[in-house]
Amino acid sequence: MEMFVMPPTAFTPAKPRPFTDIEFCAWIGQALPGDRLEYHRGFLGIDTTAVISTLPEPERRRVGALASAAHRAFEAALVHLVQLRVGPDHFAYLAIARTKPRHAPIPFSQLIVTEEAA
Amino acid sequence: MHPPISPADLATLITEAALAARRLHRKMVLPAADLDDLRQDLLVDLICRLPGFDARRGSIGAFANIVLHNQSSRIAIRHHRQWRAQCGRMLSLDAPIAGGTEPLGCLLVEADGLAAWLGQDLSVAEDADLRHDLARALGDLPEDARTLCAALGTCAIAEILGRTGTSRSALYRHIALLRLDLAMRGFGARWDGLRAA
Repeated sequence: MEMFVMPPTAFTPAKPRPFTDIEFCAWIGQALPGDRLEYHRGFLGIDTTAVISTLPEPERRRVGALASAAHRAFEAALVHLVQLRVGPDHFAYLAIARTKPRHAPIPFSQLIVTEEAA
Repeated sequence: MHPPISPADLATLITEAALAARRLHRKMVLPAADLDDLRQDLLVDLICRLPGFDARRGSIGAFANIVLHNQSSRIAIRHHRQWRAQCGRMLSLDAPIAGGTEPLGCLLVEADGLAAWLGQDLSVAEDADLRHDLARALGDLPEDARTLCAALGTCAIAEILGRTGTSRSALYRHIALLRLDLAMRGFGARWDGLRAA
């Protein structure tokens, strides 16, 4: 019986479905400290810039929104943002979940009362 | 102009409408008080369709039967659609349930409330947890997002626009950011790892 052997380089794993900024934020909402998520692979600075990006326009917008959401989460001290170099001008961008910061809780009813008083 | 209807024909229409109403009422298992409404609805629809009656094609009784049958189907479909939308029959807290004398409202404890009967599985404990989580998330939000959150809780969009003087597009941009902020704190969207893989 003849058997075909596929060379290892011929096999390309299925590309994960690209996710949106709201899905990325939902991951942060559910992640435990230390969990990590690769949210982009490429060169983020170039991929999100309008004229020089090689990505199709909807994809470029998606990556741009994702990068903004990641930066917003970083500023809120919810994630660490790191990048791994995987090749020349090619990086894996990772978000690593941090311990959630603790602030004094504000009940919604109190918030509304304050808003109405203002 | 259509000739006036004779008393005999009118009596036929009323009888047929009453029979059709009783049949429909029994099939849909409606409360007794709804029978009169059904009879009225069917009779009004039948009278409205009388100009379409042609005596050469059959008796007025046969005509009434066809019209009533069609209208009954329409009412039944509408009722069934409402029934499905409400996850079952309409329940009144003031009316006793079948076989009992106490009103339904007296029999339900808070943990097993009407919402739970209708498939909303939010218990009092879960409700308290939700409020606590929301208070914690609100405490973590940036000041501007918190203000917007409070404004959205009390005012309509038009009112916020009038009060703050911001443009509608800017407001919707802020709301989109607020949605992200809340999602980061576990509210709104859910992450499905399997779907993302």
